Amino acid sequence: MLAYALRRGGLAVVIVAVALVILIAMIQFIPGDPAAVLLGPLASPEMREAFRARMGLDQPAVVQILRFFFRVLGGDLGTDVLTNRPVLDTVLEQLPFTLTLIFASIGWSAALGIPLGCLAAVRRGSAADRLVGVLSVAAIALPSFVVAIWGLLLFAVTLDWFPTIGAGEPGQPLDRLHHLVLPSLAVGLGWVGYLARMVRATMLEVLSENHIRTARAFGLTEGTITFRYALKIAIVPTVVLLGIGVGHMISGAVFAEIVFARPGIGRLIFDALATRNYPTVMGAVMVTTVFYVVSTLAADLVAAALDPRVRAGL
Amino acid sequence: MRKFPMNRRSVLASMAAAGLAAGFYPRAALSQDGKVLRVRAYSDIQNLDPAFRKAAPDDDVMRNILPGLATMAAGDSWQWQKDAATRLEQVDATHIEFTLMDGLVWSDGHGPVTADDVKFSLERMIDPALDSPYKGDWAALDHVEVSDDRSGVIILREAFPPLWNVGLVFGSGRILSRAAVTAAGGRFDTRPPAQCGRYAIREWLPKQRLVLAKNPDWPGTPGVFDEVHVIPIDDEKTAEIALEAGDIDYTWVAVSSIPRYRATPPRGGKVAVKPSLAYVWLGMNQEHAPFDKLEVRRAVQQAVDVPSVLEAAYFGAAVPSTGLIAPGLLGHRDKLIYGYDPDRARDLLKQAGLGGGFDCTIDVLNKAERVSAAQAVQASLAAVGINVEIRPHDSGTFWSIGDQSSGDTWKTIQLLIQRFSMQPDPAFATDWFVPEQIGIWNWERWNSPEYGELNAKAKLETDNAKRAAMYVRMQDLMEESGSYLFLTHEAVGVGYRDTVEPALMPAGNPIFYGFRPVA
Repeated sequence: MLAYALRRGGLAVVIVAVALVILIAMIQFIPGDPAAVLLGPLASPEMREAFRARMGLDQPAVVQILRFFFRVLGGDLGTDVLTNRPVLDTVLEQLPFTLTLIFASIGWSAALGIPLGCLAAVRRGSAADRLVGVLSVAAIALPSFVVAIWGLLLFAVTLDWFPTIGAGEPGQPLDRLHHLVLPSLAVGLGWVGYLARMVRATMLEVLSENHIRTARAFGLTEGTITFRYALKIAIVPTVVLLGIGVGHMISGAVFAEIVFARPGIGRLIFDALATRNYPTVMGAVMVTTVFYVVSTLAADLVAAALDPRVRAGL
Repeated sequence: MRKFPMNRRSVLASMAAAGLAAGFYPRAALSQDGKVLRVRAYSDIQNLDPAFRKAAPDDDVMRNILPGLATMAAGDSWQWQKDAATRLEQVDATHIEFTLMDGLVWSDGHGPVTADDVKFSLERMIDPALDSPYKGDWAALDHVEVSDDRSGVIILREAFPPLWNVGLVFGSGRILSRAAVTAAGGRFDTRPPAQCGRYAIREWLPKQRLVLAKNPDWPGTPGVFDEVHVIPIDDEKTAEIALEAGDIDYTWVAVSSIPRYRATPPRGGKVAVKPSLAYVWLGMNQEHAPFDKLEVRRAVQQAVDVPSVLEAAYFGAAVPSTGLIAPGLLGHRDKLIYGYDPDRARDLLKQAGLGGGFDCTIDVLNKAERVSAAQAVQASLAAVGINVEIRPHDSGTFWSIGDQSSGDTWKTIQLLIQRFSMQPDPAFATDWFVPEQIGIWNWERWNSPEYGELNAKAKLETDNAKRAAMYVRMQDLMEESGSYLFLTHEAVGVGYRDTVEPALMPAGNPIFYGFRPVA
């Protein structure tokens, strides 16, 4: 297991490095002059030149990449060119909001989707199975932004149950939770469907295996068979999916943070990209890339811990 | 039967009762005591240094935390009023005398506000070493003479009427503490080293809110609300929903939402429509064939049905414009020279040897109303045989496509729809089309020395009638060139809760300290 973890850890470092090289290379080809966008119409040509030099945009791409890597190794993600604040500070301020949203979304969708998948598998062919199937597909098919807008109009404007904007008062956990309900509903609803479908499929496969038949022959209850023996195996692909899903939800968080005017890393990147504020784009994307790689690594390690066959296969 | 109303408080109470956090949620919505004003800004603050401010939200905040000698008054006409000065008088063409209010004190122990701080702040704007992008607002400033602690004279090199409409009354006229700014290294960003206004920044949570708290030491008329929460909400539709839900008290609304709100006002709120100063036009690059021919440019001017374009883009909320300068401002032009005439447009195309039509492109910002306008222009031009391909761009790309120092994309521009914002002085509108701006902001690459000369002279002209005539002539020249089809000044929709009476400049700019609760 340790060797496996080390191999996966090494691979994760390489993935982060490659992702950053691709990011910096892409920035070279994005149209739009950051100096023109950020300094506005009144800036003199000299100001623009000085700005390009300050951002290092006058240097070849290779130099920019190497400089960025050396800075990152020293724990410096650069300086935001609009506010002159360290990018690391800005990212660390925003990251908790996104992580809270992602884990809340994945948490409630897993808490609902996994039991629904189990129910559908155990009652295969029943009305409950068909209902879960229909609801799952509907949840997957509904675009998240539609859920967000409907949620806002229904639960915030019409019913006045939840707030429309923001992340809540600092230091007031219940208010923070109150502000989290609608965004996490919008981000997580599709995942309920994904998880229910996946758990159902893997459960059906496991339930037809010999050791489950043997367990039944020994007279174990359906509950024990389902949750103690079948689910433990069937959950492995779901755990991997959740690991990927956590990373994937960072992009889902962008729209939620914009629609609900929440702080967060997605909105930070979106705003920074629109203004060609590249130090912030690069710093924030690096952090999200690391987060994505770590979450998939964690999922792989959990899967390996749950199922020795995974370890043996890699 | 007793009803149990479900609202946010009851939901919160239910959550608390469910054992989630009973007892650690001391209060519901912060503004329910009526002492907090929650306003939406379209972006977070970026820079509060008057010399390097970035966008309108910066100006809106600076107005409350830094004093100025003068400021624009709330109301329906553009009028300046004294701010932190008890006397402000132009005694001749080049001398403006001022006396500061007694009792103005900087925060953080930086002492009283003095005439020397005024000298520092205004001369700083034109300091070549600082190279402020707003140095043009004080282009005619020679120096400031300090008479005593609270009085002085602003001495200009030449008469400069725009000063009273722009430099003195907006961000470039805000006063800073010499001691505090010098100690901070000569400039600052989002954290002013000293404040003195009706409010002061109490807390800034980036991307969440900026909290302005009433300054008890302000010697003049104070702000009404105890706190102003400036909440950055990028998306206009989100802001509109937040207004309807009662989560904010004030926001600009999308122009496209104005007709809907006129028909059905937001629940618990009101919408006012203000005349915008911004100007939107269809531009043609004179250096790109076939728009290098005057007949072709004129054909486009006469082929586009502007009311239809505005109906498509703004749903009837905006009216056609006649130039750069909006109604109510000096230099506004009453009518166009060339109106909609598609038959004439076809004749002109034949004269240019393009009777069979041609293909071209139009570059636009990827905002809904700009793209809709481009689609309507496309339809108008198709009727005379011109096939237009629309090229929408994100803001980062769009704002540099005509900039010669940013690459070669300027060479690809044929048609474009452009919008510039505006201050209440005509010079602010006309500056961008002089020959020196070709390849910078003059993306039509129109080269008129006469226009350039008039632009320079008009800034110094103190006779309003003569000055107005110069600006009218400049807009005539623009239209005669064929490179410009003026579309609209748009409109500003302002939404606010009916519990609040907003204080707004004529174009809808908010003056937070003037907002009051409605009993």
